[in-house]
Amino acid sequence: MKPSKDAKNIHVVICSGTTCFLMGASELFGIEKTIEGSLASRITVEGSPCMNLCKGGSYGKAPFVRVNDTLISTATLPKVIEEIRRQASL
Amino acid sequence: MHTFIEVDHYQCPKGGHRMEGDVFLSRKNSTENRVISVLSDGLGSGVKAGVLSTLTATMAITCVAGDIPIERTAQIIHQTLPVCSERRIRYATFTIVDIGQNQEVRILEYDNPPYVLIRDGELVEVPKTVARLPSRYGRKTMIFVSSFVAQPGDRIVVFSDGVVQSGIGTQAMPLGWGNAGVRRFLRELVQRDLTISARELAQRVVQKSLWNDALEAKDDITCGVLYFRNPRRTLVLTGPPIAPERDKELASIFSVYKGKKIICGGTTATILSRELGKQIRVCLQNLDPEVPPPSEMDGADLVTEGILTLGKTAELLAGNLQGGIQAFSVKHAAHLLVEHLLNSDIVDFVVGTRINEAHQDPSMPMELEIRRNIVKRIAHLLEERYLKEVHIQFI
Repeated sequence: MKPSKDAKNIHVVICSGTTCFLMGASELFGIEKTIEGSLASRITVEGSPCMNLCKGGSYGKAPFVRVNDTLISTATLPKVIEEIRRQASL
Repeated sequence: MHTFIEVDHYQCPKGGHRMEGDVFLSRKNSTENRVISVLSDGLGSGVKAGVLSTLTATMAITCVAGDIPIERTAQIIHQTLPVCSERRIRYATFTIVDIGQNQEVRILEYDNPPYVLIRDGELVEVPKTVARLPSRYGRKTMIFVSSFVAQPGDRIVVFSDGVVQSGIGTQAMPLGWGNAGVRRFLRELVQRDLTISARELAQRVVQKSLWNDALEAKDDITCGVLYFRNPRRTLVLTGPPIAPERDKELASIFSVYKGKKIICGGTTATILSRELGKQIRVCLQNLDPEVPPPSEMDGADLVTEGILTLGKTAELLAGNLQGGIQAFSVKHAAHLLVEHLLNSDIVDFVVGTRINEAHQDPSMPMELEIRRNIVKRIAHLLEERYLKEVHIQFI
């Protein structure tokens, strides 16, 4: 699943550590099925072991998702999709 | 290297019943280095037979562990069993396998099909002596006693009459599979796979019997196997070390270990990935709503999340795993972990004791247990229920 060179690829990394998983990351893995077809083909979804962001609270709260370089805390499907749309329209 | 005794069994109740009338019970006393297993078949089938055989097996194991003479054991069992309301008799068979120090084996058999000893792929006949008990202690009162010193690689196979009599009345085997048939099957299986585990061998025997019975068991079918083998070892690393200075120590434990290697915990995996310079990939197939997905890392046989997966693993081990993990069509990380643990003889846990404070957040939807406690629970289950050897080291 290498990002293709021509279409701008959007890389979505979902933390699947304990805290994130419990706080809802398990649902976020369904994003490819939820998002509109035109965007679904442009994203690559990947899991990550604990990203170490839940500790200390300085990055916000779990679950954490990275959309390219943008970090989303307390991520929900609508929040992640919104960010993907924003980056896709750039 | 010392030989490890792998003990496992498999069973299937008579068609139409939800509970087996046969029981296979084992107890291991690590300090005495003693293993006692009992197979008992209760009169009839279903719950009533289950009660008879459970009583018999439990008493037999306790008596043998307490070095009570066999005559007295038989007497105690006979006097305790309730009388069957239909047949007006009290009856349950038993085979007791008692393995003491220096792998000395003594086997007592009462009315079960004769056990099979497999050595170097061949069946070995062990001479038996007959102990006659006063006739008031049961229907037939002959107990066969045999003893031998087990050698590395030996397998002792015990089974109930449901195995021997399977297929009875069918065109293929009108008189049933028979002792000779079972023996031939065992010999072929072992010769084809010289390191077949006790778990798998027991399963294969029961599956074949069930097949003979056209998948509707005519009687309770049970097979137990004791296998003297070179121990299969597994290392489970879980949790970050108490101080980051010890991360390197954790990595070196991982690198030098000989055996299967498993990592349970995202932070732990990240530490090892950094220290060893290996990449981790999360597997997104077969996602489960309760258990986070497993990952892959070169050099590790399994990488999973920590607390949730371990919690589920403890739950699975405490439940009824009859039929093994194969029974689950979709396997999540805890299934994979259970499978690895049950296929091992010796499990070495290395538990990092640093606490993740995010887990203590009161807004978490469920209570997250402290890692140490879950590992202790898993260790206890592996030792008591599955007769594994477990070591726990904290770091």
